[in-house]
Amino acid sequence: MFTNTFFVDTWWVCWRELKHLLGQKMRLFMTLFQPFIWLTLMGNLFERVAMIPGFPAAKYLDYMTPGIVVMVTLFAGMFGGMSIVWDRRLGFFQKMLAAPISRAAVVAGKMLAIGIQTAFQSLVILGIAWGMGVSFAAGPLGILPLAGLAFLLSMAFAGLSLSLGAVLTSHEALIAVVNFLTMPLVFTSNAMMPLDLMPDWLAGLATWNPLSYAINPMRGLFLTGWAWNELLNGALVLALVALVTGSVATALIRRSLA
Amino acid sequence: MSKRIIQTQELTKRYRGGLLAVDRVSFYVTEGEIFGLLGPNGAGKSTTIHMLITLLKPTAGRAEVCGYDVSKSPDAVRRCIGYVSQDIAVDESLTGRENLELQGRFYHLPKDVLESRTAELLEMLELTERANDLVSTYSGGMRKRLDITEGLIHRPRILFLDEPTLGLDIQTRRRIWDYIEDLRSKHGITVFLTTHYMEEADHLCDRVAIIDEGRIVALGSPAELKAQIGGDLVRLKLGGRDGLPEEELRRELSSLAPVERVVADGAETYTLVVRDGERALPGIFSRLIDLGVSIESVNMKRPTLDDVFLHYTGKELRDKEGSGAYYRASAAIRRARR
Repeated sequence: MFTNTFFVDTWWVCWRELKHLLGQKMRLFMTLFQPFIWLTLMGNLFERVAMIPGFPAAKYLDYMTPGIVVMVTLFAGMFGGMSIVWDRRLGFFQKMLAAPISRAAVVAGKMLAIGIQTAFQSLVILGIAWGMGVSFAAGPLGILPLAGLAFLLSMAFAGLSLSLGAVLTSHEALIAVVNFLTMPLVFTSNAMMPLDLMPDWLAGLATWNPLSYAINPMRGLFLTGWAWNELLNGALVLALVALVTGSVATALIRRSLA
Repeated sequence: MSKRIIQTQELTKRYRGGLLAVDRVSFYVTEGEIFGLLGPNGAGKSTTIHMLITLLKPTAGRAEVCGYDVSKSPDAVRRCIGYVSQDIAVDESLTGRENLELQGRFYHLPKDVLESRTAELLEMLELTERANDLVSTYSGGMRKRLDITEGLIHRPRILFLDEPTLGLDIQTRRRIWDYIEDLRSKHGITVFLTTHYMEEADHLCDRVAIIDEGRIVALGSPAELKAQIGGDLVRLKLGGRDGLPEEELRRELSSLAPVERVVADGAETYTLVVRDGERALPGIFSRLIDLGVSIESVNMKRPTLDDVFLHYTGKELRDKEGSGAYYRASAAIRRARR
């Protein structure tokens, strides 16, 4: 699965994806502007939620900002499979596979590009939130684990999306499946509501949701500061999920060539 | 004898759904040849090319490319070949130079080689001045030539072209043909192409394999294939037979010395395969007049690969492919001629 050119190949696949992102000014602008809208709307919409007894933060926005980071990251990751559907339609996918590059690198490169994109997005969200008065307990160095968690989380879901993209051959089908999965993933996590305030069955689901493994440590960074155990635990689980979904995507691509 | 750079034995592909796309296909291609696989859409051309370039695994049979087995040494095959898909697979968000360089990266060229090769290919494309413009600003023909040229970045011994002029207009098509011929004459590269345009196969290829429903039905140089028809094609539309039974008429026509075959083409229309058609026509006319048969119209032509396809499969190549402005135009011309 891993040839000795794997890392170089991964970088060049990733380079192309990053060029696409940077070449599209509108897309770039929207990836930065969207979190601002979400923070403004949700922060105001749910302002009074923070008054519920037992709510763990003084302001809902303090609680919600890591939730927004996770949602933006999830969305970016979940649409990662689009590039494979698009490449296949353009013939670029076949062109890459006819070259002696590692198949795993095609998947890894696309995942990496999304990881880099969302790591930067998470920092932009933090900057906007900070401007809106949200506190960040972990201090300036806390941006590293925040970006790192966003990086891993988006790669985990990009791997899932690329697996879908390897099987589904139309944009429409992929968009339908992604839309079907995305919101339930958000609602079965503690992105918007603490576990303690959820019905038991939902809270049970949330403990199995990979999103929770990003939200809990991120929320810790915002509300309480550095919690090494939680951070390492989250990072490890997310990295593992990314490895699994990436391997599945690679296997499905290989299978499509059989 | 020159070296066989591609060789297949009973190459077969059955898809998971059960569809037999390629059925025991055997052929070889010699080094330096332009070899074409001609057939209608769905004949198995793309499946065959995909097995040769290691994008699909054969179900049965063998294929050797550059001396390597496609199933056992796919990476060695990949390094030896260039592949240009039927889509114009250049990246519009990158510049021409970036497209070429990225392709070189995928073939692991060292930096200095990559730079000199890119400069050389841009020169060959006459694209040096626009090398740093985004491909989205290039014309369709320019993109296709860039696409083909990308397949050359690692100096492959064989260039695989899947439908190289699909969807291009006639002027662009001719430029691409010239370009492919140039590549062969200047670089001695072997070219394996698929096409459903018989003019393309006729114009470009040294040898053509005609494929239909997954099987090769004829193989040879365009001239050899056309010679197999056995003569010129004379199409007669009759005004009236004066009570002469059709059987009788066919027997009379067949008995004429230059007439090889008589095929009824529907209502009062017959196609004759005639040796040395120009000289034979007067004799055919006078025989028909003697029989009291009136001739409404007559048309004579040299056989094309289209007729070869019809001869071997009983189907028209053209009728399966009605798209493309060029074919609409040529169909209109043929209608006007009748």
